[in-house]
Amino acid sequence: MEAVIETKHLARRFGKAEAVRDLTFRVEEGSIYALLGPNGAGKTTTIKMLLNLLTPTTGEALILGTASTRLGPAELSRIGYVSENQSLPEDFTIAELLAYCRPFYPTWDDAFAMRLLAQFGLPLDRKLKHLSRGMKMKAALLSSLAYRPRLLVLDEPFSGLDPLVRDEFIRGVLELSEQEKWTVLLSSHDIDEVERLADQVGILNGGELYLSESTESLQARFRAVEFSGAPGEGLPPGLPGSWLNPERAGNTVRFVESRFEGEAQTASQIHACFPGASAPTVAPLPLREIFLSLARTFRLKA
Amino acid sequence: MLPFSVELRPGLPVFEQVVYAVKKAVISGVLLPGDRFPSVRLLSQELRINPNTAHKAVAALVAEKILEVYPGVGTVIGAIPAATSRQRGELLGEEIERLVVEAKKLRLEVGDVHGAIDEHWKRLS
Repeated sequence: MEAVIETKHLARRFGKAEAVRDLTFRVEEGSIYALLGPNGAGKTTTIKMLLNLLTPTTGEALILGTASTRLGPAELSRIGYVSENQSLPEDFTIAELLAYCRPFYPTWDDAFAMRLLAQFGLPLDRKLKHLSRGMKMKAALLSSLAYRPRLLVLDEPFSGLDPLVRDEFIRGVLELSEQEKWTVLLSSHDIDEVERLADQVGILNGGELYLSESTESLQARFRAVEFSGAPGEGLPPGLPGSWLNPERAGNTVRFVESRFEGEAQTASQIHACFPGASAPTVAPLPLREIFLSLARTFRLKA
Repeated sequence: MLPFSVELRPGLPVFEQVVYAVKKAVISGVLLPGDRFPSVRLLSQELRINPNTAHKAVAALVAEKILEVYPGVGTVIGAIPAATSRQRGELLGEEIERLVVEAKKLRLEVGDVHGAIDEHWKRLS
């Protein structure tokens, strides 16, 4: 598979603060890659470096085969970018916004723009400053989709959107998949949406990439485990390192297994630490819970 | 709109859930042989799922001959023999397994579960 984004040891400092450290990852053509992480993890800084809106302190990034620091109009006309903090020309109507953007993009598709306009329920004659936040985000997405970008980058696209608008927004993004070549990179707090959408997930914490793997493999290796019949207080030392957030309430112990390899193995590990424990209940974890258990672990380490 | 319903639960692979929902719709007669099956793009948009996942689900259903692809026409439900009661039972098996897992988590006895099923059965009949 061809890499649409490929970074090597990408880093950015702001004064003494390291916003992003030693970031190496790749996003393949035809995938939806979600960058997740707590506030301040470095998601926006990463995205800005990829799009040449910020210069890396060290390291490098290739976007559609071009070094990020050399991205010019020709490359940027194949990349769409929508950010929650995007500034739009507020005095323009939507018709004026589209007319303004159109000449910059050789691949601009009028029919597609009109279809999206109807789908998003956007009024052509209204000034952007008179639109709701949801409408503005849809207008921004429309102006980025209309030229059928090969790479669409979305920075916190869902934040502050009501569920209906979020839904329309996602449908709009998925329109891209009718093209031969498309790739989406998004950063989000909305993990429930991401679980269905993303096939690859990267988790950033404190400027470092903690993991980068497929949603499928994450779902396969994380399990919520609970068992009872563990008399005593507190937790014994030497619990397996793959057990995240172990806690006890009375005789019941609960933890998140981060390297699940079958119920038999989990049961025997439990037995080694808690002789006489009951058979555990083992349940798959939604991505949101996987993220929360990792975020709690990060906080403990910090 | 999709011609069958899918209730996606977080935490389980989306691919398996879609394949399961289609099989269930076919076996229970919601989808009939020859019915048009939605395109990958529509499937992905309606369910807000990754297009690659939708593609994978369709490919798996084609491999199992539940769907048939006619170039230029589209994808339709295959001419599958009527489901045997065993196949219907197998399909129910997953639901029952979920029920048993939930019941065990709640520390219920098998009698409690039977009682609850009887009650719901009466209410719906």
